[in-house]
Amino acid sequence: MRVPDDYCRYLAMHEKSGERLLARAKGFKAMDLELSGDPEAVRLKKMVYAVMGEMHRMKAFIRLQPLGSRVLWGYLKPRHRIGEHISEHFARRNPGTIIVLGNGSESWTALFCQGRILRDHGAGLNETLDRLKAALKMQEKDKEADATGTELDGPNANDLDANGPDMDDIWQTYYDSQYCPERKNPQAFRQRMPSRDQQSAGLRLVQKKKEMTLEDYLDPGSSKIL
Amino acid sequence: MVTLEKIAHLSADCVFDSLGPEININPEKLSSLGEGTRHDICASTYSPRESPLPGICHAFTQDGRCVSLFKTLYTNHCSHQCNYCINATNCSRRVQIFSYTPDELARITLSLYRSNYIEGLFLSSGAGRDEDMIMERMIETLERLRKRYGFPGYIHLKILPGSSQAHIKQAMELADRVSINLEAASAAHMNEICATKSYENDILQRQRYIRDLRTKENLPAGQTTQLVVGAAGESDQDIFKRILYEYNDIGVKRAYYSAFSPQKGTAFESREGQPLWREHRLYQIDWLYRVYNFPPEDIKMAFDEEGFLSNSDPKLAIAGALLDSPLDPNVASYRELVRVPGIGPRSAKRIVALRKTRKIGGKRELESLGVVIKRAAPFLKINGWRDTTLEMWSG
Repeated sequence: MRVPDDYCRYLAMHEKSGERLLARAKGFKAMDLELSGDPEAVRLKKMVYAVMGEMHRMKAFIRLQPLGSRVLWGYLKPRHRIGEHISEHFARRNPGTIIVLGNGSESWTALFCQGRILRDHGAGLNETLDRLKAALKMQEKDKEADATGTELDGPNANDLDANGPDMDDIWQTYYDSQYCPERKNPQAFRQRMPSRDQQSAGLRLVQKKKEMTLEDYLDPGSSKIL
Repeated sequence: MVTLEKIAHLSADCVFDSLGPEININPEKLSSLGEGTRHDICASTYSPRESPLPGICHAFTQDGRCVSLFKTLYTNHCSHQCNYCINATNCSRRVQIFSYTPDELARITLSLYRSNYIEGLFLSSGAGRDEDMIMERMIETLERLRKRYGFPGYIHLKILPGSSQAHIKQAMELADRVSINLEAASAAHMNEICATKSYENDILQRQRYIRDLRTKENLPAGQTTQLVVGAAGESDQDIFKRILYEYNDIGVKRAYYSAFSPQKGTAFESREGQPLWREHRLYQIDWLYRVYNFPPEDIKMAFDEEGFLSNSDPKLAIAGALLDSPLDPNVASYRELVRVPGIGPRSAKRIVALRKTRKIGGKRELESLGVVIKRAAPFLKINGWRDTTLEMWSG
């Protein structure tokens, strides 16, 4: 069975959710939604699936970039109100690392540390990253002042300006190596990598990206990102 | 809610892993060793550990297959003579030999994992000059990942044929899943495709080691296996017979099938490739056995006289042979219901659950339970109504 018992949690995150809808939903058990052919139940079920589906695909499609050694950030502009849930997912996946997800107008920050989860919901991605950078730099200075005479702790130093390896390049080379041309199946590709969800995660997946020309990017038939 | 400044402050108290120095990796190596595993199947990365790792597909290639693990060879150097493989010593097209180092491979994996490109590592390899040495290097890679870098992701390790029991044990303590490729359906078929591997000793015996070394703690996702389909002229029934042994005696979690496709320069270069539908039909009977729990006698109905499957739905063939009158979904047992084309385990369970509270009234209702009514209707009757389009009931 697919509809989870705590489905109201997901329903509350739906973009068209509201107090009245949630009050109506209280009349249904998960099992009712699963089995009933009643139009209201079918509608609620579809809304729950839509939220769960977007959550699942954001967990899959978002790519994170390091900012120094303590922050991983990525683009996210979901249709439903799942930003907090997704950033918490990545925080738990990377204990001790600050996760920032967001877009031009809002961002979700999370940190999973010593069994606790800390969250912040704030302004656009750039602004949040700048503030975080400033705070981390400040801290680094304090630490230096405290530890006069002792050496900085080498690899763990919070070097915010160092450029890490370009993982996207490494990944793209690997990704291209996995393609079996004799199995080409663009329909399955489109179905499993919906362009709408790729857009929400700021992703644009193409085979042989390096061999693409400017025209491929400007092709009006292809979807734009960001 | 806490402030960003507080989060920044608290993160200083956390132990976090550093990625260390920059990764300089030869793209040709990355590509070559990656290509070496493109016929291997990624499948689900679900691992039932204390906090279960869900199966997430981070990307799909244009062939519609999932890329959620960093699937790679440790080295493409190999001393075996498998007639279908481009890394075999008897392959006339020489490819450049590459190899990773344990630390290099561990750091690439960790970085890809942290950036959310992958759920984990799928590590296979050529046997090198000495398979014990390669096995040791692969185990060292896993050890670095788990112990030095604290990597929590999924690891699938291919056990090289002929590996020692001690190496297998070490691997099982570090990986989520291990596998040994059967490649062929029997010892006779193995002789046909590879002159340097002993089916009984190098493969089956190692699978039994894994089975016997398995405890509750190690290897949460168990062992699997993979076959090359149609390279040795074997029938689907030969394969099914082997698979029954694998599921029942070895206890593999899953078997994977890869239709043979001839590669340039290999001894089998001019052999005819197998149609992809053959692989698909084998997966379907595998599914009927493993998920639908069809008894093997029923599944055998789908084979023709030579033991091959046709390019049509095996479930339909089995239903045609075994269902001799239409079923009433209000009365039929779960076992009978899943036999009906268009009804799977999930919709069969829903039917059984719903009819405890009330009677199922008609097609519409079945549809909302997930039944594919177009395919199921000819095999059903409800309240006296039935579809008479199927000739088999009219006689």
